[in-house]
Amino acid sequence: MGPAKLDIRNLTKAYPGVLALDDFSAVFDGGKVYALLGKNGSGKSTFVKCLSGAATPTSGEVWIDGVKTNFKGPADANAAGIAVVYQELSLILDFTVAENIMLGRFPTMGPGNVTVDWKTTNAHVQDILTSLRIDIPVTRKISDLSVGQRQVIEIAKAMSLNPRVLLLDEPTSALARHEINSLLAVVRSLREKGVAIIFITHKLNEIRGVADYVTVLRDSRLVGTVPIEVATPKVIVDMMFGETTLRSRPADLKVGEEIRLKVSGLHRKDKYEDISFDLRAGEVLGIAGMLGAGRSELLRGIFGADPIDGGTIVLNGTEARRPTVARMKDLGLAMTMENRKEEGLIQIMSIEDNLCLASLDEVGQRGFLSHFLQAPVAEKWIGRLEIKVSDALQEVQSLSGGNQQKVVVGNWLNTDPKVVFFDEPTRGIDIIAKQQIFQIMWDLSRRGLSVVFVSSELEELLEVCHRILIMEAGRFIGEVREPENTPIETLYAMCMGETAK
Amino acid sequence: MTTSNTSGRTKRTLGAPLPRRPFFKLSDFVLEAILLAIIVLLAFSAPGFATWDNWMNILRNAAMTGIIAFGMTFVLILGEIDISVGSGLAFFGCLLAVVTDSMTTAGWSAEFAVAVGVVLCIAIAILAGMFTGWVRHALAVPTFITTLAWMAAFRGGAYLLTGSFPVTPYPEWFFFFGSGAIFGIPFQAFVFLLVFIITWFISRYTVFGKSAYAVGGNAESARLSGINVLGVRMAVMAMIGIFTVLSAIMVSSQIQAGNPTVGVTWEFTVITACVIGGVSLMGGKGRVWGTFVGVLFLSIMLNGMTLLNIDEYWQYVARALLILGAVLIYQVQALNARRG
Repeated sequence: MGPAKLDIRNLTKAYPGVLALDDFSAVFDGGKVYALLGKNGSGKSTFVKCLSGAATPTSGEVWIDGVKTNFKGPADANAAGIAVVYQELSLILDFTVAENIMLGRFPTMGPGNVTVDWKTTNAHVQDILTSLRIDIPVTRKISDLSVGQRQVIEIAKAMSLNPRVLLLDEPTSALARHEINSLLAVVRSLREKGVAIIFITHKLNEIRGVADYVTVLRDSRLVGTVPIEVATPKVIVDMMFGETTLRSRPADLKVGEEIRLKVSGLHRKDKYEDISFDLRAGEVLGIAGMLGAGRSELLRGIFGADPIDGGTIVLNGTEARRPTVARMKDLGLAMTMENRKEEGLIQIMSIEDNLCLASLDEVGQRGFLSHFLQAPVAEKWIGRLEIKVSDALQEVQSLSGGNQQKVVVGNWLNTDPKVVFFDEPTRGIDIIAKQQIFQIMWDLSRRGLSVVFVSSELEELLEVCHRILIMEAGRFIGEVREPENTPIETLYAMCMGETAK
Repeated sequence: MTTSNTSGRTKRTLGAPLPRRPFFKLSDFVLEAILLAIIVLLAFSAPGFATWDNWMNILRNAAMTGIIAFGMTFVLILGEIDISVGSGLAFFGCLLAVVTDSMTTAGWSAEFAVAVGVVLCIAIAILAGMFTGWVRHALAVPTFITTLAWMAAFRGGAYLLTGSFPVTPYPEWFFFFGSGAIFGIPFQAFVFLLVFIITWFISRYTVFGKSAYAVGGNAESARLSGINVLGVRMAVMAMIGIFTVLSAIMVSSQIQAGNPTVGVTWEFTVITACVIGGVSLMGGKGRVWGTFVGVLFLSIMLNGMTLLNIDEYWQYVARALLILGAVLIYQVQALNARRG
């Protein structure tokens, strides 16, 4: 089979009151990688849903290799040659790589053809992996693989169906940098198979090595497709947002003298050891490191979310001996969790409820609580943090990632904290929302609050923080005192443990 | 309520006034509408349905399971379950009877003996509930398992206490709780309404109520927001225990004895009422008002069918259809809301 051709004509999806995708027409050629960009709410997820058969387009046509398709569900889309790899993994952890890839279509043998032919299964999957240049043993259990390797297996599984069109929905959002590189290598190798690849991402820096074209959506419409050579960051950002300016840390944010948080000799077995640092009033402190370096674990330990084995934590002059979330909250510590969907929000509760979650006792009066007490709180944070909502009583899961993150932040700011931990607050949200999160951190700093900011995006740390600590294998191995004068390569090298400054 | 994930649907510009939500939507009151229709239907078809006495009878019967159902609503909102309430009903009834019996035999006054028995029952119910909540929290033992054990323990305890024969130690005044009336309205109906109002208020207007929804919606997020998850779990499991004791007192009073055979399959009647009322077994969702309507729905249906001389076995079939029908309606509504 030659290169595939995906031809989309006037694709439109209308939800009551909103056009989620407006008259999308484009041709995607096989053997090419298209990076699909657009801020949250620009119509990307609707585009994916329409192509994957999860949603039925209101009007428009999808042609694959000159054949008009008609999807009633995901199975039809699969049969027509469209495979989708989602951000959330769908693998069964206790099954092997081969079992996962062949699930539901095992080769059989023996009397009545009811016995699974493991030999053929494994050999077949080995062929698939080899052809994609993936070097993972087929008999390894998924639970023994890293998140990055799992994502690669997910792609191999999709490719095992011999699709003509492959949609990758933010496959790198949970990966560390070195894992991203090996995933991108797999995507590059897919080109040779003549498949049309649509790669959805938020990260501008990673499309450069992999994409041939950049396709941009804005406000439910296709803005255009440009070759990668032409697509400078300026061009892309202008296509995504119209004209914008990206801000960096304002000069007036000064680190005070007063020590707000003093951590000394903190340790937890197999997670981190010998952790000591000071955090001053008004300071924005970054913590850099690879996935698994122990950054989140450290913050969670200080916050009281996980137990610690020893060491001292002094917050606002008070020593917290055995931190619990409630105790640390009382002392003025707040933390937005890395995993906002599962650990920061209660998806089926309203935006209003989620904004009051950490301050229920304060919002309530003598244990009584009502909508009339909660509504002003919700209104306040929706206004201050510019959370885009049509109705504060809607379930929080109806919001986009960036707005959900702001709800988490508002929930914690309402506890009137002195120190705020942000654990990966920018994961999976668009550039404008990121800028707003940075702005929130800077505003806190200006008011004399202290911020600890953990991010896997090293550029962000350099842009936002006064000072960056580098963590590797549970220890601090270095420090960047002048982020504004430090090139990204230096920080990256430090995180890889190459040189400690 | 929309639950779509398409983030592009909220396009309100900042500062524009929030749209007003409709004050009344018929689709929010499907259950109430059906119940009203059934009442009208029965009033015309079932002899003796639309009489004061029959209505008081319905209330009297609804009260016994209904009180427990309000406790069960909170248990289900937490995402837990308590299948020991039927056995608990028998156990607490028998314990009260045995305590009263032995104390009056020993020369104490009946008033004092009943008071001691009630306090003892409530103490045991609270401790048992707190234990269930603690085991759930600290050791992640499903409440289904723990209360399965309580179910056996309570039933066995009831038989052991009484030697499997009803114990009848009660003086005349005690029968008021089960058969008495104030202004012609049965005593149980007042307790039923009181418990309804208290639990309805807790669910809507207290920090504790909101915490229960939060724990049921996502216990980890609740914990990381500093909510006392263990406290909420223990309190809710203790609360249903207290309501079970209240119900046990009224049942004992009505049958004028402590009887180890009462309350068999009550846990399912109670859960049925909650489910009809739209309480989700997945946790995080449910309204005390829904349970109130669910309890009445079930009692009125059973009462109506008895008056229409419908065979008891067919009543089981009707109950099955009721549960399935209710669940299907709620599920279709939820899916429609999600699709938007």
